[in-house]
Amino acid sequence: MTPPRIERVTLLVLAIRHLSVGVWVILALLILSAAALVLTDRSDSRDDRALSMWVFSPEHKLMYDPIAARTSDTDAPLDISIMSIAAIQSRMMSGFFGGLPTADLIEVERATIGQVFMGPTEAIGFTDLTPLLESEGLLDQINPPSLSPWSTDGRVFGLPHDVHPVMLAYRADITESAGIDLTQAQTWDEYFAMLRPLMRDNDNDGRIDHYPLAAWYTQPDTVELLMLQGDGALFDEHGVPAIDSDRNAQLLARIVSWCLPDGRVAVDIEEFSAAGHQARVDGVSIGNLCPDWMCSIWRMHVPGLDGKLKLMPLPAFEPGGRRTSVRGGTMLGIPTTTEHPDEAWTYAKTLYTSPDVARELYTLVDIITPVRSLWDDPVYDQPDPYFMGQPKGRMFIELAPMIPIRTSSPYNRAAVLEVRDAAIALVDWAQSRGYGFNDVESIEPRAKQLLERAQTNVVRMMSRNAFAALPEQEDREQ
Amino acid sequence: MSSPRTSRALFLTILLAPFVLIFSVFMLYPLAQSAVLAAHQTYGPGTREYVGAHNLSLLINDPLFWKALKNTLVYTLGSLLIQLPIAFALALALNSPKLRGRSIYRLVFFSPQLMGLVFVSILGVLAFEKRMGLVNRSLAWVTGNSELLELDWLQEHVMATLVLLSLWLYAGFNMIYFLAALQNVDRSLIEASEIDGAGPIARLRHVILPSIKPVATFVVLLSMIGSLQLFELPYILLDSSGGPSNSGLTVVMYLYQNGFELGDLGYASAIGWALAIMLIVLALIQMNMIRRQERLG
Amino acid sequence: MSKPLLHKLALHLGLIALGIIVLIPFAWLIIASLKPSEAFFSALFLPPGDGLFGVDWGALTLDNYTNLFGLGFGRALLNSIFYSSAAAIFATLFCASTGYALAKFRFRGNGLLTLLILGALIVPPSLLIAPGYELLYDLGLLDTAWGLLLPAFAPAFGVFLFRQAVLQSVPDQLLEAARIDGCSELSIFFVIVLPLIRPMIGAFMLITFLAMWNNFISPQIVIQSADKQPLSVAIAQLRGVYRTDYGLLMAATVVSVAPVALLFLILQKQFISGLTSGAVKG
Repeated sequence: MTPPRIERVTLLVLAIRHLSVGVWVILALLILSAAALVLTDRSDSRDDRALSMWVFSPEHKLMYDPIAARTSDTDAPLDISIMSIAAIQSRMMSGFFGGLPTADLIEVERATIGQVFMGPTEAIGFTDLTPLLESEGLLDQINPPSLSPWSTDGRVFGLPHDVHPVMLAYRADITESAGIDLTQAQTWDEYFAMLRPLMRDNDNDGRIDHYPLAAWYTQPDTVELLMLQGDGALFDEHGVPAIDSDRNAQLLARIVSWCLPDGRVAVDIEEFSAAGHQARVDGVSIGNLCPDWMCSIWRMHVPGLDGKLKLMPLPAFEPGGRRTSVRGGTMLGIPTTTEHPDEAWTYAKTLYTSPDVARELYTLVDIITPVRSLWDDPVYDQPDPYFMGQPKGRMFIELAPMIPIRTSSPYNRAAVLEVRDAAIALVDWAQSRGYGFNDVESIEPRAKQLLERAQTNVVRMMSRNAFAALPEQEDREQ
Repeated sequence: MSSPRTSRALFLTILLAPFVLIFSVFMLYPLAQSAVLAAHQTYGPGTREYVGAHNLSLLINDPLFWKALKNTLVYTLGSLLIQLPIAFALALALNSPKLRGRSIYRLVFFSPQLMGLVFVSILGVLAFEKRMGLVNRSLAWVTGNSELLELDWLQEHVMATLVLLSLWLYAGFNMIYFLAALQNVDRSLIEASEIDGAGPIARLRHVILPSIKPVATFVVLLSMIGSLQLFELPYILLDSSGGPSNSGLTVVMYLYQNGFELGDLGYASAIGWALAIMLIVLALIQMNMIRRQERLG
Repeated sequence: MSKPLLHKLALHLGLIALGIIVLIPFAWLIIASLKPSEAFFSALFLPPGDGLFGVDWGALTLDNYTNLFGLGFGRALLNSIFYSSAAAIFATLFCASTGYALAKFRFRGNGLLTLLILGALIVPPSLLIAPGYELLYDLGLLDTAWGLLLPAFAPAFGVFLFRQAVLQSVPDQLLEAARIDGCSELSIFFVIVLPLIRPMIGAFMLITFLAMWNNFISPQIVIQSADKQPLSVAIAQLRGVYRTDYGLLMAATVVSVAPVALLFLILQKQFISGLTSGAVKG
């Protein structure tokens, strides 16, 4: 059977009659969705002057919105969207790689910034803010070490949001009733010596009731924090790895010696779990390393510590050594693709240097601003009942200029993890030889060896990157 | 009126042009490019640097790549060994022509397949949540042991979570293949074995298994090819990371991380080639098998 | 009771038990998407209360869904429908025509093209991720619908399937007879060939639709703007910020899965036969 000669128009009609339901449904969906997309396309009606900003913290949006609303009458309006760190990371990097517009302002967390600096300097997706900061005199107003994580080759690519100095939060209720004045402790050795008498098992549960310090060699952030405090640098100022320096070996040996069974002074307490919080409430640790942002976390999740803690500068590794450190951080950057660089800069300045935001930042989440001119705000002098009425903000601010300089090397995280692995290996080795708290000198050579291995691993990782300024790399190319 | 020859050529062009054009640009060209790219290091598509065979030697010495490969293989073996026997058993159970409600059962077991991997992953995130999730709450309720509420699937048992989710997702899907194969088993052979007095187990071994062997091999290879490219499930379950000490890192995830988080499309291509070689070997076995099957059938 | 009957009963009981296990996550998902967050913690399924069957029906709410669409999820739904249907229609059209040409016409390059398509079948998609992205960058197609759709319009396995289907179900004599009767080539294709391979068209269209709907890695890489994202990417990004908002995520999953489930239920017969057609003969 063959069909007769057919006109072209009826041909389609016939063909369509043979199509199945599925084809019909999908065809209808295509037409309807295309029509709906065309009809709802708001790209024409969108306010061309509007600026967009990506933030990952709902608290930040809460703080910025009123300020953005205040300025929107005169300037371009600002749309702030909250996105997860992962979403910011994926959309920001795909925008940078693809040369696509992202947002006009983006807040970036320290853990994410490495990727931005992974390529050659000219391919960095954020605007170099150095000339702007210089011309407005902001470079002098901002706490200098707070710029370091966001700078490479002496150029600043983001406004710092915070300082995040670290203090020691200790159980003053326990020490004071035992008649110990910890504020007299200038160095870690003095500190541990003062607390040795408390390391007993008074409740007879077979475990020591109070350890001097919550810190453990398996926590990468803790190891990094302590090494930074002791001037241990994993990278030099040019971003070349310096993991196996003598100083680093010395510091690693010190930190590890605190965790060895013979004479152990440190205790392993989970940082953000309910079990960890309970251990802190129980006084398992007397001292806890406390960056400013940690205050709000404890206030929220560990009400049991209310009125029991006091803050003091960290004891130093050596007499006269640094009494603080640094942990975490956020920056605000302006992508190079923005169509509104001037307005974006105005907003960036307003949001990050405004006294109102700084004050709210402190009252809401206990974070002190990196803008030095705002540090005389009386809000920082208010007594904080959680910390037995201490003027917490002022104490953090006094330490802020002393925080260690940090590298912006994209390989920092990898290096920190390598050091952590070296610490684990070092503990195994020292334990098998029966070394303890007093054997730092015997451990040090081994620490040096393990750090050399870590150095090799990081150098190997970096040698993969043709854009990283490694000396060997340049030799090879010549 | 044009000559029939030119009109035929025109018609052929209309038939072929769209596909051939798109296929060449979006398939053949990138395929050729992937070899070029594998000899470069890039920072996004805009910045590249020739590194020659460097990527290859890095890959061979890259502990993370081997870890990713090991994880992927563990997942592949784990999911196949658990999933395929269950899928086959289900197909056997549903194969009886006298079974009532067979099409409903088939639909029910197949239904998880309607959810895409991404959506299954989101469901997984919620269902395997420590205290509130469906899995732990059901376990605690069934066993009466409230300690099971604290079972930390997403942190401590990543592989088990992946295998369980893929069991739920794919068992019914593979069952469909086995079922189709079982229905093609020659009834006269089965009847003959019944007359011979063979028991059900002997019948399974001597009649059914041999005749569905081609399909079974096909399903195994298909599942392997799919499992080796695992990405969405761990990527979303572990919140776009490799999980605690990369215990959930897979090869495609590592490719993605290198190419699109670190911007090194060159190294990503090298990883792609390593995976492709493994998959191509599997696929060649499969095609060879289909061809033999066609010759036999 | 006789032994076969007992067997049957046991079989049904076992199958029903398994079926319940398979379906429970769906039930949990749907119910939880209707619960306000307080009720989420109190009961695993329906909140207990004084209503019918001891359930507090009044506690159920559509709030999660209203919140979801307030967050712009409707746009992602629309995008998903558009991308999936466009990919399904055009991939089917292009693959069917090419498959027909390869199966029924002799022309220079036929053998080469067939070989290339067979070769492309074994190339894993992950190999093309990086160079494909670079190509879209060079063409300026990143963050556009075209960048997502064009590569999906020409799947090699589609041509392979249609070539097989035409070879199997379109007899040469029929085409010859139509030509002798003076039918134009175009009408032969639409009126004779397409109806004969109708089952494959339906099945392939559904498979392509589903594949695009569930595709995650391509839109994650290609699409950057929030208002162009399909559901798969939008829901993954929803996760980070709103992880604790269980009801919202549940509702998002229901919205993402329900349309395809519905489509499948209407067309399940074609779909399942299409899935197995590549593997099993007959």
